[in-house]
Amino acid sequence: MTNAIQLKEEGNRRFQAGDYARAEALYSQALVADQTNPALYTNRAMARLKLNHWDDVIADCDQCLRISPDNMKAHYYLSQAHLALHAYDDAVTNAEKAHALCVNAGDKSLAAITGQVLKCKKERWDDQERRRIRETSDLENEVIEMLERERDQALHDLDNDDFDAVTRKEVEEEWEQKINRMRGVFESATANESKRRKVPDWAIDDISFCVMVDPVITKTGKSYERASIEEHLRRQPTDPLTREPLYVSELRPNLGLKQACQEFLEENGWAADW
Amino acid sequence: MSFATKRLGKELSKINNNSLPPGIELVSADDFEEWYLDIKVLDNNPLYQNQVYRLKFKFSAQYPIEPPEVVFVKLANRPIPIHPHIYSNGIICLDLLGQAGWSPVQNVESICMSLQSMLTGNNKNERPAGDEEFVRGNRLRPKDIDFYYHDNNV
Repeated sequence: MTNAIQLKEEGNRRFQAGDYARAEALYSQALVADQTNPALYTNRAMARLKLNHWDDVIADCDQCLRISPDNMKAHYYLSQAHLALHAYDDAVTNAEKAHALCVNAGDKSLAAITGQVLKCKKERWDDQERRRIRETSDLENEVIEMLERERDQALHDLDNDDFDAVTRKEVEEEWEQKINRMRGVFESATANESKRRKVPDWAIDDISFCVMVDPVITKTGKSYERASIEEHLRRQPTDPLTREPLYVSELRPNLGLKQACQEFLEENGWAADW
Repeated sequence: MSFATKRLGKELSKINNNSLPPGIELVSADDFEEWYLDIKVLDNNPLYQNQVYRLKFKFSAQYPIEPPEVVFVKLANRPIPIHPHIYSNGIICLDLLGQAGWSPVQNVESICMSLQSMLTGNNKNERPAGDEEFVRGNRLRPKDIDFYYHDNNV
C-alpha cells in the first residue's frame, strides 16, 4: 500500500513536470500494488488524456466508476475522451454528471466543468449542422439531376416528333427556368439559416457573457451562472448589482431559466460559443 | 482559454456588432491584454470642449472577477483631462475601478460611460490634492493604490 502511494506521488511529480508517459507508467505500477484506490485510475486517465490515448482514458474512468460511482473527475475525463472520439451524446451526459457532482461538492473546478458542458453541446450541435447541410446539398443535387433527366427526355421527344427549332428553344428555356427556380429554393433555405443570429439577453450570464448552464438567482431577482457568481463571491461576498452582502448559501437554482436555456441551446447550439 | 479571453472576445464581438454609445470609440484591441479607447464629453462643458481623451485598459487573466487597470494616456493630440480625481499622469481615482468598488457585471463599455459622465458632471478646473508629489513619487500600479474616496460627489 505504501508502495502504491509512493509510486503515485512520483507519478504526480512526473505529471507536473510534463512527462506524461512516465507518469502513466508509474500510475500503472501503483495500480498493480493497489487496485482499490479510485484516484490512481483518475490520475492515470488524466495522463492518458494528455497522451491522447482516448480509449485507455475511457477504460480507466469506467474502472474508477465501478469502485466509486460518483467520481466527479472520472465523469469529467470521460466527457473529454468521448468528445475527442466524437461520441457527442456520451460527452454531454458525462459533462452534466460531472457538473452536478461538482456543485454538490462545492469543488473549485466548477468553471472548467461548466465550460466543458458548453463545449460538448456546441460540438454536438456543429456535428448535427454539418450532417444536415451535407444531406441538404445531396438532396439538392439529386433533385436537380432528376429535373435535368426530365428535360432531356422532353427535348428528346420533341426531336422525334420533328418540332420546329423555335418551339424546341421555348421548351428548353422553360426547363432551365424551372431548374434555376429549384436551385433558388435551396439557396434561400440555407441562407435563411445562416443569417446573423442573436442570443437573447435572458440566456446570458452577465459575468462570463456565456449562455447559462446552471443559473442561480440572487435576492435582487437577477440570475447568474453558478460558476461565475461563486467565483466572484469567493473574492468578495457582495451582490454585483447592489453591493449588499451576499453569500453562496443564499443562492438558489433558477430551474425555469435553466430549462429555458437548455431548450434554447438545443435549438441554437451555435450560441454555446456565440 | 482563460476566463478573461473568452469574456473579452464576447465584449469585442458585441462592440463590433452593435457599436459603442456616442462619444466612445474603440481605437485598438489587438489582444486580450491591452485595449485602447477614445472618449469625449458630449455636452458643452467648457473644461472638455473639442477634446478627445485616450484610455488604456489592461486586463488580467482574472478579468472580470478582478477589475481592469484603466488610465488616461497622454499623446500629442490626447491630453489628460483636468478633474479633481484624475492625476496629471493619467491615473484615475474612481471607486468603480478599485478592488472594493469593482463588480464583475461592469464591462469596458460601462466603464467608459462612467468616466464620460464623471467628466460631464465636473466643473472644477483642478487636479487632486497633492498631484505633483503623487506623480513624482508613485511607483505603484493604479489598482494597488489605496485611494481615499473622500468626495464621491465630484
